[in-house]
Amino acid sequence: MIDVIMKLATGYRRSVFWLLTLITLGVAAFIPSITIDTDPENMLPDDNTQRVFHNEVKETFAMHDMIVVGVVNENSVYNQQTLTDLHTVSSYAESLDGVVSDDLMSLANVDNITQEGPGTIRFEWMMKQAPESDAEARYIQQQVEDLPLLYNTIVSGDNKAAAIYVPIESKDESYALAEQLRSKINTLSSSDDWHITGLPVAEDQFGYEMFVQMGISAPLAAAVIFALLWVFFRNVRFISAAMIVAMSTVLITMGALIAFGFTVHIMSSMIAIFLMPIAVVDSVHIMSEFSDRYREKGNAKDTIKDVLGHLFTPMLFTSVTSAIGFYSLMLTPIPPVQVFGAFVGSGILLAFLITVIFVPAYLCALKPSTLEGFAQVTHEEHKDGWLQKLGAVAARHAKLWIAFFLAVLAFAWFGIQQININDNPVRWFKPDHEVRIADEVLNDHFAGTYNAYVVFENTLDATEKARSAVRDALNNDALSEESRDALSALLEQEQVNFNQWIIAIDDLLFSVGSDQLEPLERLMTELEQLNTASKAFQSPELLAYMSEMQAYLQTTGLVGKSNSLSDVVKTVNRELRSGEEKDYELPDNANGVAQTLLQYQSSHRPQDLWHFVTPDYKRSLMWLQLTSGDNQHVTKVVNAVDSYIQDNPLPANIEIDWAGKAYLNVVWQEAMVEGMLDSLISAFVVVFIMMVLLFRSVVFGVLAMLPLSLTIAFIYGLIGWVGKDYDMPIAVLSSLTLGLSVDFAIHFIERTRATFKQTGNWQDTLAVMFDEPARAISRNAIVIAIGFTPLLFAPLVPYITVGVFLASIMAISAIVTLIILPAVMTAFSRLIFRGGQS
Amino acid sequence: MKALFLTALSTAVLFVSSQAISAEKSAREIVEQAELNAYYSGDDGRSAARMIITDNQGRQQMRQFTILRKDQQDGGVQDMMIFFSRPADVRDTVFRVVKQVNDDDDRWLYLPDLDLVKRISAGDKRTSFVGSHFFYEDVSGRNTELDSYELISENEDSYVLKGTAKEPGNVEFSYYEVVIDKEHMLPIESTFYNDSGEAYRKMEVLKVETVQGYPTVTHSRMSDLTNGGQTEMQFRFMKYNIGLPDSIFSERSLRNPPAEWLQLRD
Repeated sequence: MIDVIMKLATGYRRSVFWLLTLITLGVAAFIPSITIDTDPENMLPDDNTQRVFHNEVKETFAMHDMIVVGVVNENSVYNQQTLTDLHTVSSYAESLDGVVSDDLMSLANVDNITQEGPGTIRFEWMMKQAPESDAEARYIQQQVEDLPLLYNTIVSGDNKAAAIYVPIESKDESYALAEQLRSKINTLSSSDDWHITGLPVAEDQFGYEMFVQMGISAPLAAAVIFALLWVFFRNVRFISAAMIVAMSTVLITMGALIAFGFTVHIMSSMIAIFLMPIAVVDSVHIMSEFSDRYREKGNAKDTIKDVLGHLFTPMLFTSVTSAIGFYSLMLTPIPPVQVFGAFVGSGILLAFLITVIFVPAYLCALKPSTLEGFAQVTHEEHKDGWLQKLGAVAARHAKLWIAFFLAVLAFAWFGIQQININDNPVRWFKPDHEVRIADEVLNDHFAGTYNAYVVFENTLDATEKARSAVRDALNNDALSEESRDALSALLEQEQVNFNQWIIAIDDLLFSVGSDQLEPLERLMTELEQLNTASKAFQSPELLAYMSEMQAYLQTTGLVGKSNSLSDVVKTVNRELRSGEEKDYELPDNANGVAQTLLQYQSSHRPQDLWHFVTPDYKRSLMWLQLTSGDNQHVTKVVNAVDSYIQDNPLPANIEIDWAGKAYLNVVWQEAMVEGMLDSLISAFVVVFIMMVLLFRSVVFGVLAMLPLSLTIAFIYGLIGWVGKDYDMPIAVLSSLTLGLSVDFAIHFIERTRATFKQTGNWQDTLAVMFDEPARAISRNAIVIAIGFTPLLFAPLVPYITVGVFLASIMAISAIVTLIILPAVMTAFSRLIFRGGQS
Repeated sequence: MKALFLTALSTAVLFVSSQAISAEKSAREIVEQAELNAYYSGDDGRSAARMIITDNQGRQQMRQFTILRKDQQDGGVQDMMIFFSRPADVRDTVFRVVKQVNDDDDRWLYLPDLDLVKRISAGDKRTSFVGSHFFYEDVSGRNTELDSYELISENEDSYVLKGTAKEPGNVEFSYYEVVIDKEHMLPIESTFYNDSGEAYRKMEVLKVETVQGYPTVTHSRMSDLTNGGQTEMQFRFMKYNIGLPDSIFSERSLRNPPAEWLQLRD
C-alpha cells in the first residue's frame, strides 16, 4: 500500500496534482445550483404518516401558511389612526400576488353579525372603511368583543394589539411578501410598533442566515486553522498542504451533496465547518512526524516512507472511527441528519484518501532547502514542560484520579436524569433577533401564534347502506328499464357521493310516470336520511362534546384559546335569537345546526366554515392557539387531550388525530431522541469492536473507550445540571463526539504500546509518551477545538450551540485522555502490561 | 292557448322593434330592457332552482329551492319567496324578499328547526346567497339605478357595457362588464374587476330557453376567478303568469308554505 503511495508521490506527481485539481473543480462546479431548505417539516421523511396527515389536513381545511402582521399600541389599537393604518396594510396585503386573499383575516375584512333592533339580524363588514373618529373605532371594539371567534385572535384580549393573518400560496414567496409588507408599513406615519412574524417568515429568514453562516463561518474556520498551523509549523508552503487537503475535501463533499440533488438543510450547512478541522488532522500527524524524522533521514522520500509506515494504520483507524461516528447518524429517522452524517462521514474518508496520496506527493515536490528550514524551525520549540508535568501528575495520583472520574460519572448520571428534551424552531434565532422579538410580543398580547389542530373524524361509513338501499329499489317491479339503468349506473360508481345520487334520483323523479313515483320517493327519503345521518358534525351532542373539551383545555392554562365549529354555531345561534349571552348555546337538533350554518354561509366569507368542518360534515377541526411552540408545551397539551378523552370517552365512531406545525415539531423531536440513542449505541458498539480488533486486545479496547465515554457522560450530565434544553444540535453531537474523541485514545494507546515494547518499563514509557505523542494529541485537540470556534460568531443559535459544545468536548476529551489513560494504566499496569513485563 | 299565442306574438313584435332601433339605444335603455327580461318576465312566475356549489377542492354542496315571484309593477316593486327543499336538513327554510326600487329591500327569514322568523337588515346585499358564489343581489337582481353604464362595444349579436357603482364604497368591485345578447336582450356574461383591474368574478349564462314566449335563463354559472370554485344554477319547471295571489307573499307563508303553488308536477 505504502509502496503504491510512494510510487504515485514520486513517479506520477503531476498526475496526482492534476487529478485532484480536476476532480475538485469538476465537482465543485455543482455548488452554484444549491437549493436551501429551511422547512422544519423536512425533519420528517416525505412519507411520514403524521406529516402526510398534517399536510392533508392543511389542504382539506385550507389552513394555509401564514405571515402574521401585528400592530401594537400601548394604549389601545381602537383609535382612528391605528385602525386606519391597519386597514391600509390589510388592503395592501390582499392585493399582493401570492396571497390567498379569500382567507386573509383582519378587522378590515371579517364579517360582523349583529342585532339591529328587535327581531332583526344584520350581516355587514366589520370595518369596510377605516373609521373616521375614535368613537367609531370604539364601536368596532364592542363588536369584536362580542364575537368569540375574532376576540383574542385578530385583536388581542388586552386591546393593545391587532393582527393581520396573511395566508400565502407558497412558502417560497414569504420573504418577498414580508419585504413588500415591511416597505408598505414604512410609508405609514404610524407611531405604533409593527411586527412581522409567522413560521414561513422565520423559515425564509433562517435560510438567509444560513447563507451568512456558510459565507462567514466556513472561511473564518479556514483562517483560524491556517493561523493555528502557522503557530505549530511556521512555514506557509508546508501548511498549504494541509489547507489544500481541507479545501478540496470540503469542495468535493459539498459539490457531491448538491450534485446528488440533496437540498442544503440546517444540518448540511454545517458540513464545511465540520470537515475543515477534521480534514487537516491527518496532515498534522504526517507533518509532525515528518519534521521529527527528516533530520535523521535527510531526504523527503525516505522520510515519508518511514512516516507513513508508522502512521498509516492509526490514521486509517482514526478516520474510519470518526466516519463511523457520523455514519451512525444515518440510523436516526431524520432525513437532514442522515444526509449530514452520510456526507461528513464520507468526507472524512475522502480527506484520509487525499491526505495519504496528495501530501506525500506534495512534500516530495518541495525543495530540500524548504524542508530543511522547516525541520529546523519546528524542532526548536520541542521543549514544553507542562505536558511532562501533566503526565507525572496523572501517574502519581492514579487512584485519586480514578476516584475523581468515578465521582464525575456519578455527577453525570444524576445530571442525565434531569435532561430536558425540548426544542422550538423559533428559538433557533438569537433572543434579540427581530423574528424572536415579534414572536414574543405577539404571544404576549394574543392567545397564541402557535397552532395545533385536533382533527375529529366520523368513521361510520354509510356507503354500504346507501348501496343496499339502491339495490332494494332495483328489486321493485314498478321501475322502468330506463330507471333501472339510471340506478344501476349509480351502483357502478366507486364512491357514494350523496349529492350526486340525490340529484340523479331527483332528475329521475321528474321524468318518470306516476306509477314509478312510490319506489323512487322511498329511495330518495332513505338516501336523504342516510346523508343527514352521515353529517356527524351537525349533531349537537358531538358539538357539545367538543365545547366541553375546549372548556377543559382552557382550565389547564396550556391553551391560549381554542376555536371550533361549536363556537361558530353558538355565535350565529345567539345572534339569530337575541344577541344576548343566554342564547350562546347549541340548537336542540341537527337540522337546527344545519340551518344556523346556512346563515353563517350567507356572509361575505362563506368559505370560513370549511376551516372548521368539511362540506360533508364528516370531519371537524379544533384549532388550538398556543402561546409557546416548545415541544414540551405541546406535549403537555396532547397529554391533556388524551387524559380528557380517557375520562370522557369520545362519542361512538369518532376518532381524533393531531396536525399543525407545533404538533409536527413534537413528532420529529421524539423520533430524533429515540434515533439518537440508537445511533449512539450502535456507534459505540462498532467503535469498540474496531478497537478490540485494532489492538487485538479486549483490555485495550475497553481502555480506548474510557475517555470518550467519560467525556460524553460528563457533557450530557452537565447539560442536565445546567438545565440547557436537549435540542436538535445537542442530540446530534453525541455520536459524532464519539467518533472524534476516540482518535486521541487510539494514538495514545498505539504509541504507548510501541514505546513499551522498546522500554519494557511503564515509568519510562510514561516519560516518552508525554513528550512527542502527547504533543501531537494536544495539537490535534487544539486544531479541532479552535477550528469549531468560528461557529460562535454565527447568527443562529444551533450553530453556536454546536460550536461551543464541540470545542469543549474536544478540549475535555483530549485532557481526559491524557489523564485517565496514564492513571488507569498506572493503577492497573500489571493487568494491562502483563505481556510486556513477563 | 290563444293568450299564449298572443303573448308570443307580442314578444316577437317587441323583439323586431327592439332590434330595429338598437343602433340608437343608449346604454341605460339597454340595461333597463335587460333587467326587465331577466327579472320581470310576465306578471308573476315560479321556477325550481338547483345550485351545485363546487369549492376550489372540487367538493360539492347542493341547494334546491322553489322561487315564487310576483311583480307589483314591471321594473318596480317585486315580491319574492324562496322555499328550500334540499338538503333535507334545511328543508322548509324560507326567505321572503320585497324588492324595493327607491329603498332598501325588505327581507325575512324562517328557520323551521329553530322555530324562528327573523327579519334580515338590508345591510349589504353583496353577501353569499346560502354559501354559493352568487350574491343575494344576483338572485334578486341588482337595481340598475345603483350603477352608471357606458356602452363600450357592440357587434351583430351583443352589446358590451361597462357598469360602475355610483357609490363605490358599497360594493367590492371597481367596475364590471356585462355582455347583453341582442337576440333575447338578456345579460349573458358579467365579469367583475377589482381595483387593480383584474377580473375576479364571472357570471356566465350557459343556457337560455324560451318559456311561454319569455326568453329565460335556465342554466348559469358564477365563478370565483381568484381562488377557484364555482356555483352552477339550473332552473326547471318555469311557469309565468300563473296568477299568484298577493296573500301568499306574507309572513304567514313563512311558517305555512302555500303547498298548492309549490307543486311542480302537473
